[in-house]
Amino acid sequence: MKNNPYRLLGLGLVIGGAIFIPVAYFIINSIPLAAIALSSIMIGFTSIALSTARSQISPEASQMILETGMENIAALLEELGLNNKAIYLPSSMRTGNAQALIPLNGDIDIHRIKTKIPRRLIVRYGDKPNDMAIVVTAPGGSSFGRLDIKTGSTPSEIEQGISYVLTGLLDLAGSVEVHIIEGQLSIEVIGPRLHYENVWYYRCMGSPIASIAASIASDAIGKPIRIKEENYSKGRSRILLEVLE
Amino acid sequence: MRIYNRYLLLMVFASCLINVALAFLGQKDLTVYFVVIVIAYLLITVLFIYFSPRTRRALSLVSMVFLAGFLVVVVLKVLEVVHF
Repeated sequence: MKNNPYRLLGLGLVIGGAIFIPVAYFIINSIPLAAIALSSIMIGFTSIALSTARSQISPEASQMILETGMENIAALLEELGLNNKAIYLPSSMRTGNAQALIPLNGDIDIHRIKTKIPRRLIVRYGDKPNDMAIVVTAPGGSSFGRLDIKTGSTPSEIEQGISYVLTGLLDLAGSVEVHIIEGQLSIEVIGPRLHYENVWYYRCMGSPIASIAASIASDAIGKPIRIKEENYSKGRSRILLEVLE
Repeated sequence: MRIYNRYLLLMVFASCLINVALAFLGQKDLTVYFVVIVIAYLLITVLFIYFSPRTRRALSLVSMVFLAGFLVVVVLKVLEVVHF
């Protein structure tokens, strides 16, 4: 917090403005210059207020923790030879934070999930012996608890929820657009800070941004969601989410 | 660009624009500059709805201070009008 740039900028503007106001008003006798000093103080206080937004741990430390978590899940997926796409579960089908279910055997019939998926690594989701899956917490899953808005199921409400988490809370993107195309959710993330990579983990779970979007959308719609497609070009990530019904 | 930087830059741009415009119009009252900048600040802050709850709380506190200043100026102006 000591080297927080917003706080340093704010203090500079407030002190500079406070010194310059009497000089401009009483010595130079210029009201417009005094107004500039007044604006400087106001922007300075705003900047100091913004300094609370910056996390107490550095972005490098956050990235290291994220990568460590991803590497652990990737090692698990590779060891088990799982390459099925993860299914993001709505709160009505899970216990606790946002969860992604990765079936051990091929495709999954979502109607076989009758009860809430427990908070365990290996779960049985249906009656058949092969209805087994592993369940992991979706990246950013803990941040949804901080959502103080109830995300509705319309594209604009989903867009609002995803924008709030990706741009406001986590600062992972510039802006977000959500459309419904042929029953699928098309999400366009403008200026994403994390890109899709063609690695095992991303092929299975999706990129962290897609995972967060899928978790929020799943909660909003109240149905399980799978990341169908994801690509990045010209500063935009395009994510296609398939709603499983 | 980070949403917080965008917000700050918009504040700077709006303040500059207001100061230049009022100076160009020959405004000699500092309280008028203050009132217009406070209104611009409140409008811009309302537009940025995606801030984290902690930041919004901090900005609300700053907004309340500015609003209090705004009200003091308005009350003083009203008293000025009533007395004369």
